[in-house]
Amino acid sequence: MTTVSRAWSRLTLPGKLIFTLIPLLAALTVGLLVALLLIGPFVWTFLTDNLPLVRFVIAATAVLLMSIPTAFIIIYMEMKIIAQMNLRIGPDRVGPYGSLLSVVHGLKVLVKEDFTPTGADTPVFTLAPVVVYLGAVMSLMVIPFAPGLFGQDFNIGLLYFFAVGGLSVVGLMMAGWSSYNKYSLLGGLRSAAQVISYEIPLTLSVVGLLMLAGTMSLNTIVLNQSGSILDWYIFRQPLGFLIFFIAATAEANRTPFDLTEADSEIVAGFATEYSGMRFGFFFFAEYVGVFIVSAMTVTLFLGGWNAPFDWPWPITVNPDPGSLGILLLILIGVVPVLSTLAFAAPFWLLRSNMPGWQALIIGFVISNLVAVAAVLGWAFISFDWVVGLLWFMLKTYAFVFTFVWMRGTLPRVRIDQLMGFAWKWLLPASLLNLFVTAGALIVLNR
Amino acid sequence: MSFIPGLGLAKGMALTLRRFFEPKVTIRYPEEAADVSPKFRGRLQLLYDEWGTLKCETCFQCAQACPIECIDMGGTDTKGRYHVHWGAPETYGERRDESALRRSGRPVPDEAYRHFEPIDLAAVDAILAKHDFDPKEMLGILGDVQEAYGHLPVAALKRISSSTGAWYATLYGTASSYRHLRFDPPVTAVAVCRCTGCLMSGAGRIQEALERSLGSRLGLAPARGQIRLEQLPGHIPGAPSPLVTVAGEPQSVTPAAVEKWAAGLAKRAAGRPQA
Repeated sequence: MTTVSRAWSRLTLPGKLIFTLIPLLAALTVGLLVALLLIGPFVWTFLTDNLPLVRFVIAATAVLLMSIPTAFIIIYMEMKIIAQMNLRIGPDRVGPYGSLLSVVHGLKVLVKEDFTPTGADTPVFTLAPVVVYLGAVMSLMVIPFAPGLFGQDFNIGLLYFFAVGGLSVVGLMMAGWSSYNKYSLLGGLRSAAQVISYEIPLTLSVVGLLMLAGTMSLNTIVLNQSGSILDWYIFRQPLGFLIFFIAATAEANRTPFDLTEADSEIVAGFATEYSGMRFGFFFFAEYVGVFIVSAMTVTLFLGGWNAPFDWPWPITVNPDPGSLGILLLILIGVVPVLSTLAFAAPFWLLRSNMPGWQALIIGFVISNLVAVAAVLGWAFISFDWVVGLLWFMLKTYAFVFTFVWMRGTLPRVRIDQLMGFAWKWLLPASLLNLFVTAGALIVLNR
Repeated sequence: MSFIPGLGLAKGMALTLRRFFEPKVTIRYPEEAADVSPKFRGRLQLLYDEWGTLKCETCFQCAQACPIECIDMGGTDTKGRYHVHWGAPETYGERRDESALRRSGRPVPDEAYRHFEPIDLAAVDAILAKHDFDPKEMLGILGDVQEAYGHLPVAALKRISSSTGAWYATLYGTASSYRHLRFDPPVTAVAVCRCTGCLMSGAGRIQEALERSLGSRLGLAPARGQIRLEQLPGHIPGAPSPLVTVAGEPQSVTPAAVEKWAAGLAKRAAGRPQA
């Protein structure tokens, strides 16, 4: 035993870590294998019997995991695009073109001190960011990203979306009230007033669309817009689109309706007393909200994952490599070499000072890129969900760009102008849209 | 409607979109550096001229102008006047290069600044009371003190500063901007002309007599008094010889009466309020 203790004391810290972890991992692996062997079949039958449950768990996990990188991307986009519009460059030191800056921001909020102010209602204070973030993330579950790529296909998916959007109001009020700070309370009340007064034009503006589509299921709405660009609902409900876009901007607390979180307003509104990761949750929830309203605009009015023209997919390319026989082996050996040489040749021939090995490296890299592009292209034309996802993301990020563009351009409205606009202009306009659509449907006997 | 609703929004957003594609004005330091002209004075350093002396004359204008009193300077100014140390002690420092000061032949100050001589402050208090301790009448106050004492003694400036609330540095800076205000005791310059005509008329004897009674030599700084003996550079046209001037005004002095005249001059100079 003393041999072991002597040897242990001669190890450095990394050595001690390794010598503890490796046996532990080995034991765990063996245990896992034994458990799999013993109970594996039961678990497998359970899973295959409850496939929808499995699907749900995977979908929820994917949605939670994807929301944070989406927030990072949108934060980076905002910083860069607003900077470029201000004739600045924006972040360009942290990572290539400054792309890691939002990741660093995320890490920064993790390491900040997380305190609860004295007098604050602790359980409510702690849960408020969770509720706000939930309100954002749960809406991602019903958005159809691609054919077959959605969380759940409710037949009341649109209603669910609006209901969950209302959940974030509860979170705002919880934050404003439990902070034990009159300015937070005021900010929270203003924010809640803004969100609930814009929810009415938001929901009314899509009722016309619901009458046209006949269903609240988002997947069906997207399917109704398949065909060509002229089938998209934006052409059949232009006023509805406009009202929805404006109301959604206000719902997401974006400029010009962002006085609840503007720097010059009541400190940080309802989030004044929050720091560290709790503030990080509010922060991320806002940017996920931007993604959600863009995605919803795209889903409802711009055809979701449909391409603007009738995409003849899936084009089934059925390569049958086996039929080549021995030629396949020869090709496997020859094609990489030939492609490397082929792509290297122009560089070596046309540049006199390029050494041969450098040209070969360039040729190898380019041939790899071409191969990857070919595989991606094959996936693109063969799998409809790849195409659909690509179009959906393109359209959604075009709208995110528009939101960021508006933030960089437009001045903020006052709270009274904001409320007046919602109740006196958007609400009557959405009712008008509703009546006109209903009248048209009656006249056209649909 | 003469206006199109939303047109303002559209024009604004079109402008920002155009700006999105325009070249950016950021200078990416340190890869790129901005062009500065050779005359640029934004450096945080004191400059030297080509002979090695500091260009800074401690005129205190920058310290006077600074609204947050963050500038301090040490050292004597060019006429050997009282050091001005003012501000937080950690900002003190002799910024004058001592060897440059020695090279210039000026007296090198010692570290502890010499204290000002105390004076009778009754006159200062009377003047301040007359001006109602108002710092806005500073120029009048300083002019009256100059009249009373012949110059602005440091003790008087300190009394003015503490009574009126104006900063000492401001007083110092203001006073050095005006030609009629002086910090050192006035020196009466008695000048003797040594041109051939005056020498034939007895300027040499006049000069010796003046040197004896005043106790100083021609051209030297006054030892203790306020009368400095100088040589006129040239005969003033139209003046009688021998020519003796007091503060530039020709006096009628004969070699016989020069002793009594010089004694009267010295006594009159000593009779002024002490400074």
